[in-house]
Amino acid sequence: MKVVIMGCGRVGARLAAQLDAAGHSVVIIDLNAYSFRRLSQTYKGKAIVGNGIDTEVLKKAGIESAEVFIALTQGDNRNIMASQIAKHIFNVPRAICRIYDPLRQELFATLGLETISPTTIFADLLQKRVEG
Amino acid sequence: MYIIIVGGGRVGYYLTEALLKEGHEILLIEENPAVCEVINEELGSVCMRGDGCEVVTLEAAGTSRADMLVSVTADDEDNLIACQVAKHKFKVPRTIARIRNPKNKELFEKLGVNVPVISTNLILEHITEEVPTHPVTHLMELRDKGLEIIEMKIPAGCACVGRTIKDIVLPHGSILSLIIRKSQNPIIPTDSTVLMADDQIIAVTPPQAEAELRAVLIGE
Amino acid sequence: MKFDRILIPVVGTEIDAETINLACRLAKKDRTKILAVYIIPIVRELPLDAEMSAEVKKAEEILASAGEVALKHGFEIETDLLQARNVGPSIIDEAVERKVDLIVMGISYKQRFGQYSLGNVTPYVLKNAACRVILYQQYQSSESSV
Repeated sequence: MKVVIMGCGRVGARLAAQLDAAGHSVVIIDLNAYSFRRLSQTYKGKAIVGNGIDTEVLKKAGIESAEVFIALTQGDNRNIMASQIAKHIFNVPRAICRIYDPLRQELFATLGLETISPTTIFADLLQKRVEG
Repeated sequence: MYIIIVGGGRVGYYLTEALLKEGHEILLIEENPAVCEVINEELGSVCMRGDGCEVVTLEAAGTSRADMLVSVTADDEDNLIACQVAKHKFKVPRTIARIRNPKNKELFEKLGVNVPVISTNLILEHITEEVPTHPVTHLMELRDKGLEIIEMKIPAGCACVGRTIKDIVLPHGSILSLIIRKSQNPIIPTDSTVLMADDQIIAVTPPQAEAELRAVLIGE
Repeated sequence: MKFDRILIPVVGTEIDAETINLACRLAKKDRTKILAVYIIPIVRELPLDAEMSAEVKKAEEILASAGEVALKHGFEIETDLLQARNVGPSIIDEAVERKVDLIVMGISYKQRFGQYSLGNVTPYVLKNAACRVILYQQYQSSESSV
């Protein structure tokens, strides 16, 4: 599968390495080249410096032929906008978007984005742990 | 009308001031408490502290009865999301976003968010911060006067750099009305003003003289 | 010190009577006008001129009992009922409009997040008033302030 990931933080870097190891074709984008230090030594995919809400950068990352786009920057709004660009401008079949704010996550899920809120997931997980 | 403005920067400030004068009910949403305080002091209590992209903030702002939401923060993505939340969660009939990157126009419009092209706030925006990517920006048309207001940036190495206004022959009917120079107050040009590279010029001109004006000011 | 017009923002608690008593003592018969104002804060969800019948009824009662307290001192006070987004600025506006030369404000001992809090109305009035302001804090015995 061809996957474009925006945001090379801990999650982005780890996911890129995992998908790459599993044999997928991965391109990761980050604003800052320094973030790519997080990528594992064995990562064979591409890494591109640039802003993921810039269509030119996305094109360079091969968005036009990507099957999955995943937005994992620290900014909810940036993630939402990038996913909408992937979905509505480049017709990427799947755009997955991390949104920390649960309310925004709910809203954009109803607008057809594939969204994940780590806040909700982690709080639920902790509650289960606490309650046994 | 009840109009909500997101972002208390220069554009938001002047927009609020202008719309208040027209008698509209305005609420400005701004994240920075110090900025809120200044605005409330200068324009009356019209500013609420909060993140205009957040559902809770917009709820407290009474967004569901707003006729319009205008988002003018410095970030395109924040403006888009504020407008989308207003439009879909609160059913605001009209949402307008400021964009910095013209490439975003297509996406915004596809998603039902209006993008202003020519308006007074664009002038303010250009005056205060933007360095346009293209040589001449049309700011406003004064149709009944047969004039337009344009903005351009003097490139380095252009023939007019280092010359006084007096020495430059402008086309008939064209006036240079304002010069904006980095880290300085805007200058109202006089005969002895010397043009410099990177000067931003606001000029009034008849449309038919625009090409000539451009040749004089930014031609090599 | 003599005052011609005194403004008392009333809030509907027992402190109102105490501030009115104080204002009446500072006032001079036949000279000083006392004005009690009650402000109904209107949330942004509603237009500023929304019909707030329940709140208006309550406010009228509060203003009426303020009037009774003043009457015991022999003062007939004026009252005003306002709807506003923010209480602080509307007290200031009222003070300017009515040309008052003193605002007497009652406050009660309040805690917020475990700490003493003055709220946001009082500091706003102190900062922005164009006249004298007397703050009157209700006595709170140590047991009841916890």
